[in-house]
Amino acid sequence: MRIVLDRERCEGHGLCEEAAPDLMHLDDDGELVLDREEVSDDDPAAAARANGAVRVCPVAALRIA
Amino acid sequence: MSAAAEQAGQVKRVVVVGNGIAGLTAADTLRGTGFDGELTIVGDESHAAYSRPALSKALLHDGDDLSHELPSPTHGATELLGVRATGLDLERRRVALDDGTDLSYDRLVIATGSRARRLSDLPEEVTLRGLDDALALRRRLADKPSVIVVGGGPLGMEIASGCLAAGSTVTVVSQGVPLVLQLGPHLADVFTAAGRERGLTVVETELARLERSAEGYAARVVLDDGTVLEADLVVTAVGDVPNTEWLASSGLVSQGGPLTVDSRGLVRPDIAVAGDLAAFPTPHGTRRIPLWSSAIEQSKVAAAALIQGQEAPTLQFQPYFWTEQFGLSLKAVGYLPVVGAPAYVDGGPDGPALMRWAHGDGTAVAAALNYRIPIPRLRRVTQQAA
Ligand SMILES: Cc1cc2nc3c(=O)[nH]c(=O)nc-3n(C[C@H](O)[C@H](O)[C@H](O)COP(=O)(O)OP(=O)(O)OC[C@H]3O[C@@H](n4cnc5c(N)ncnc54)[C@H](O)[C@@H]3O)c2cc1C
Ligand code: SF4
Repeated sequence: MRIVLDRERCEGHGLCEEAAPDLMHLDDDGELVLDREEVSDDDPAAAARANGAVRVCPVAALRIA
Repeated sequence: MSAAAEQAGQVKRVVVVGNGIAGLTAADTLRGTGFDGELTIVGDESHAAYSRPALSKALLHDGDDLSHELPSPTHGATELLGVRATGLDLERRRVALDDGTDLSYDRLVIATGSRARRLSDLPEEVTLRGLDDALALRRRLADKPSVIVVGGGPLGMEIASGCLAAGSTVTVVSQGVPLVLQLGPHLADVFTAAGRERGLTVVETELARLERSAEGYAARVVLDDGTVLEADLVVTAVGDVPNTEWLASSGLVSQGGPLTVDSRGLVRPDIAVAGDLAAFPTPHGTRRIPLWSSAIEQSKVAAAALIQGQEAPTLQFQPYFWTEQFGLSLKAVGYLPVVGAPAYVDGGPDGPALMRWAHGDGTAVAAALNYRIPIPRLRRVTQQAA
């Protein structure tokens, strides 16, 4: 699976980072950086964190492709 | 097999009532905890779960049709949408539905949220809680009606901001300065000033009433001193009421009240409750915190406890609140409202600012105004010594 960010939408809430700190973070300017876009389906824990991060975003800036 | 997986294996059937973010998160968490049995979600809205916070923001005025959409669920549950739960039998472990059928469960998640509190039964009184409400309101705004918003809380002020941005003239009727009860005087003044600068009229009153109007107007708003205000459109945003009526006969809840849960979100070993309808223990007493990330955190803990019982962690929760209105964006962590002037960690009163307030009990609130900052950093600001 791949995590996709719609930068236009992202409002920098950073709730996603709290859900999956190993996959993404907000940089010093408050821009979201995806540290890992590809998450292997063989890593169910990471996949669950990726889904969790996508779910908490209240403005639907993240999705799974 | 781990102890948790073993316990999960004994639970064959879970029913989740309520298809909002709390119900959805509970379903995801159940799967994450190893529950692979039969999962059914019942929701009385016919829509798939969506983001409610988006309804009073971009959706209202940007012609934005996507900001409320949530990614499709991965929990593989049977979804019964457009179906309402009408009763609960604790002994027989059955949920009655309005289509005349019922569902049996080994474990139950109650996540029926809350609804808009109304000031009247008048059909002219418009409220905003669901997607259908938001789309209907947006259609009405296309004609640029004059608008009165009754209620100066975050939702009322966001609606006012959205209506102004859509080209309407807007009056907010508020008990005291808008937002002062929710945010405290400093932030309330900042937002109210920003609203006024954009043309917002603010009217303060004690209790306002709604009456049917003379011809041509939507409804009349009568202030405590007898003053009557009229507009083409009257929207009220005066709080929310927990959706617990369907539980009346179960004895779990008193009429119209919230459901009070333990520190793991349980009301009984086989029933978890999460989201806007739940009152849970906080450092400031048992209370409801009807906010987005509150619903998510509660349902994660409650769903885990439903499977793992007392071995599951308790809720450790620091509220996160945000709002966007009148060109300002605020993020805050900690227990609002805050009194007095802030300490400026960065920036100052006239621009983007990172602020901190210490409460008397050692906890603190950190707030970022038009200031982009990751939430984990904002949380760390609350932990610094003053
Ligand atoms: C317009 C608006 C703007 C908001 N903005 C913000 C914000 O900026 N920041 C923030 O943190 N929070 C905000 N909130 C609050 C946040 O949206 C809620 O805290 C959150 O959505 C609560 O989720 P929930 O799942 O507990 O309840 P809900 O989303 O209400 O979900 C409950 C679901 O259960 C259904 N239901 C009710 N009774 C039954 C029944 N008997 N049978 C079956 N289904 C039933 C309901 O129709 C609903 O679909 C806002 C709320 C609104 C309305
Ligand atoms: S939660 Fe959404 S808006 Fe917030 S930083 Fe993540 S992607 Fe952006």
